[in-house]
Amino acid sequence: MTVTDEELVARTIAGDSDSFNQLILRWERPIYALAYRQLGREDDARDVVQDAFLRAFRALPGFKGEAKFSSWLYRITLNLCRDVMRRAKRAPFAPTPEGVDIADLVSSDTPATESIEDVVTRKDLGRHVARAMSLLPEEQRSAIVLKEYHGLTFQEIAELQGCPLSTVKTRLYQGLTVLRRELDGLGTGPPRAEGRRP
Amino acid sequence: MTDSRYCGNPEVLMSYLYEDGPREERLAFEAHLRQCGPCAAEVASLRAVREEITAWTPPETVLDFRIVREAAPVKSRWSWMSAMPAWAQLAAASLVIGVAAGLSGLDVQYGKDGLVVRTGWNRPADARQDIVAPPAAAGGAEAPWRADLAAVQEQLRDEFRQAAPAPSARPASTAAVGARTAMSDDEFMARVKQLIEASETRTQREMALRLTEVVRDMDTQRRADLRRVADGIGVLEGRTGAAVAQQREMMNYLLRVSQK
Repeated sequence: MTVTDEELVARTIAGDSDSFNQLILRWERPIYALAYRQLGREDDARDVVQDAFLRAFRALPGFKGEAKFSSWLYRITLNLCRDVMRRAKRAPFAPTPEGVDIADLVSSDTPATESIEDVVTRKDLGRHVARAMSLLPEEQRSAIVLKEYHGLTFQEIAELQGCPLSTVKTRLYQGLTVLRRELDGLGTGPPRAEGRRP
Repeated sequence: MTDSRYCGNPEVLMSYLYEDGPREERLAFEAHLRQCGPCAAEVASLRAVREEITAWTPPETVLDFRIVREAAPVKSRWSWMSAMPAWAQLAAASLVIGVAAGLSGLDVQYGKDGLVVRTGWNRPADARQDIVAPPAAAGGAEAPWRADLAAVQEQLRDEFRQAAPAPSARPASTAAVGARTAMSDDEFMARVKQLIEASETRTQREMALRLTEVVRDMDTQRRADLRRVADGIGVLEGRTGAAVAQQREMMNYLLRVSQK
């Protein structure tokens, strides 16, 4: 039977640091993905993950359990990402690298059934998406990232961003519209019917 | 068919697209989509965007962060020193140096013989006596610690005397040892002077060498520049001469033509 986050949190507060290591194992990948998609740089994302867990560990005695542990962790991560972006005063995304790294093509996340051509196309599209995401304001980008890649509800995103539900939906819509325009401009992906903007 | 409740309403559109919202509202919007072509196209295009952005995956990386409780560090004997403020450490160091200098009767002189550092044990007995016996005219405020210092110094001397072999076992006399020490000091000073002179000579030689090299480089550069300037002037002269010759030919031709 899987131990819940809340139980692991309680054990950690009681002095069992191994329980917190289990939480790290459980959440380090999603937190890294969130930080990477917010910052666009692997090194910065790794630093943020480390800082986020360290900050969470130190602040755990003050964690009241009013929100889910994951939401609390997401909030810490987003705040740290915001700090990094403010501190660096630079474009949030690194320039898109040229060409395709062969090592990437044989990485473990490549499905066995996917051909090399498909992998190249997917990687290429991924770079276009990253570039298009970099054009979005931080609030729109984080709304899309939390919804699309982390499956948070509108309500959870609203709590994390500290805004009304309707604002979250508007941010999502505006962000998706910008992405559609940018990806259409690149001529990537399958042709689709042009939608109308309300 | 346009419906103001749904068309151009991003909230309803997002709720439907992400299936996050009241079920009745989503079903109503679905019914609207069957009748409204533009809204249906909008939903289709946004779904395509959602599909495309799944291609963006973070690069693989090694994440091995763990919380490790470190064992309490073993405190060293002097660890309390690090807790002291800097001014206290400085004061303590000054006190130690002062006491050490007082105990050893340190005497520092700088004169025509250069820098001379002597300890009290190397001094003549009468000079030592001045230090051991605190002067009667010393200020009242200084008297207590001077007296303590003198007492400690005397005690140390007694201990040294007791530890040393009996006077009868000593070779010849202490005066001879003192003379030997003085002589070795003179020799040492002479040697230092020699070394300083040698160093100065070496520095002067190196300086002269450097200066010669700089002058030679400057001279070479100057000659090269002069040659370049001369070449440039020659080219200009050649061009000017050619132009003058051409003009002269032209004038001659015009004169010939005008005379005909």
